[in-house]
Amino acid sequence: MVSYSKLALFLIPVVVLFLLDVNSAFAQESSKQYMSARIEIWALFYRLMVVAFVIGAVVMGTITWVVWRFRESHPKNKGSITPSRSEGAHH
Amino acid sequence: MWEILFSTHHTDIGLLYIYLSTTAFIIGGALAIGIRSELFLPGNQGIIPDSNTFHRIFTVHGTNMLFFWLIPFASGIGNYLIPIMVRYKDMAWPKLNAVAFWMLPVSMALVWLGFADTTWNAYPPYSIIRAPGPAAEMWIFGLKIAGISSVLGAINFVVTILKMKHPDLPLMKTPLFVWATLVTSLMIIVAMPTFAAALIMLYTDRLGISGFFNPAMGGDPIAYQHLFWFTFHPEVYIFLIPAVGTAYELIPKFSRKPIFSYGSGVIAFVMLAIVGFASWAHHMYATGMSFTEKTVFMVGTLAAVPASAMHIFNWIATMWGGRIKFAAPMAFTVGGIVLFFFAGAGGIVNTAMPLDFLTHDSYWVVGHMHLFLMGMITFGFIGFLYYMFPLITGRMYNERAAMIQFWLMFVGVSMIFLTQHVLGLYGQPRRTFDYIPVQPLIILNQISTVGAWITAAGAAVFIANLIKSTVSGKPANMEDPFKLGEQYYDYARREPHH
Ligand code: HEM
Ligand SMILES: [Cu+2]
Repeated sequence: MVSYSKLALFLIPVVVLFLLDVNSAFAQESSKQYMSARIEIWALFYRLMVVAFVIGAVVMGTITWVVWRFRESHPKNKGSITPSRSEGAHH
Repeated sequence: MWEILFSTHHTDIGLLYIYLSTTAFIIGGALAIGIRSELFLPGNQGIIPDSNTFHRIFTVHGTNMLFFWLIPFASGIGNYLIPIMVRYKDMAWPKLNAVAFWMLPVSMALVWLGFADTTWNAYPPYSIIRAPGPAAEMWIFGLKIAGISSVLGAINFVVTILKMKHPDLPLMKTPLFVWATLVTSLMIIVAMPTFAAALIMLYTDRLGISGFFNPAMGGDPIAYQHLFWFTFHPEVYIFLIPAVGTAYELIPKFSRKPIFSYGSGVIAFVMLAIVGFASWAHHMYATGMSFTEKTVFMVGTLAAVPASAMHIFNWIATMWGGRIKFAAPMAFTVGGIVLFFFAGAGGIVNTAMPLDFLTHDSYWVVGHMHLFLMGMITFGFIGFLYYMFPLITGRMYNERAAMIQFWLMFVGVSMIFLTQHVLGLYGQPRRTFDYIPVQPLIILNQISTVGAWITAAGAAVFIANLIKSTVSGKPANMEDPFKLGEQYYDYARREPHH
């Protein structure tokens, strides 16, 4: 059974998005509101895009760091090694 | 030799696919070097005689790389590994499998001998009214055959995976590479018929018996673009997903850790396959669609981002805390993933329709698509070819040379294609033989061209390594050729002729 609190948590963003959309859809009824709605939504999009790119760049930096830090020849990897399949850690 | 040519065994067919596709990669690459060298300076450098030849060259380059390198290579490794992974003796229909492969040399011959100038999109009205025959006809039939071949191959994969799988092996226990192949094959079956129809319409339009896309006969050229992109946006994921599958093969093994989350990998594959069909018209923002239509396709395109992000987080989490062996297969995979991010970022800019009016039909788009095709996918495939090298040849490749190749290609590819984004913003259109002799166009073109030469040097090391190691490489330890302490593929499967 899916718990109701989970369902509610899921529904909140859906409802919010829906209300926002309804709002923009009727923005056309006055041209002034329409223009500013368009400007706002694109401004939001560009901001989110920049945020996404920053996150992406951080993630790529992380990948590079992970490969560097967890390479088998890294000094810190000498002592406590992660055993591989045939060394019996997992199956 | 003859045994392999006439064989229907899956490893033999797989080998033929790999051989054909790697050859296509090399000769298609030679064309690209010609293109980039010509563009080293504005004006005619004499490397390519005239703009018409230039058009023919990039048309064949693009068609060849997509249909004779990426798709057949994915079929090749799939043929090799899928029966092993689902524990069946062969593909479901071995003869059909051989037929599907042998259509490819025919199709490739048509494309190469015709040397059409339609661009790989073959947009009408040019492709139906002016494009010289018989080159354009040969291109149409070549692609028709390649399309049928890939559909036959896809049906074979789907049936092998779903019906021939060992009864004790649940689908959710098969490697993610199996899922990648399954999802890709299903996408091929859904996507390909539309383009197949469009090709016939192009052909009858060229004959003058129909006017589907001919404005003079009341037809609509834009309709072709819809048919084309309904196939080919999903197709870009068809190119991509096998490389994601190989990354799931390699990253856990070379990190000596199990995959962080198998389930999320499966979910992301399925999501990508579905939303891949909701974005095709993002290639057509400039054709005068309504704001609403454009918004739908923009949102449909962005819906692919979460699935890609799920894969990337899965890979990072798998590597985290592992003991990573940064050998060539892993290097190419991780390097490809880094380029994948830049490619995706460029894609987001393209799909924001006001921004697309800046990037569309400019060199930006060339940079974007190549970061995927050459970056993520080709890198993934080269890495995987090295991983399979012991399985195929029983020998080890030269690791040092392979790492030199990796760094040459990583630097080279970044130079070529990141720079091309900037070139596009400065207004250089794609598919032109010449450009205005002003800065910064000249210097940016030169950086791009030098990058191409560096990449070519890497490719030369690649071929030399493949040939030399096949002939005289060290015999590989077939239990664990990469000393990972992980299981390698079942070697006995390679020997069908006993
Ligand atoms: C994050 C995912 C992606 C997004 C948002 C995206 C977006 C776009 C957009 C909007 C265009 C049209 C640009 C224009 O012509 O103005 C485009 C072009 C292209 N993309 Fe992507 N793309 C993505 C992933 C991919 C992948 C995975 C591949 C290949 C494996 C790919 C290959 C291409 C190709 C080949 C073109 C150019 C086609 C042509 O006009 O010849 N893209 N992309
Ligand atoms: Cu697309």
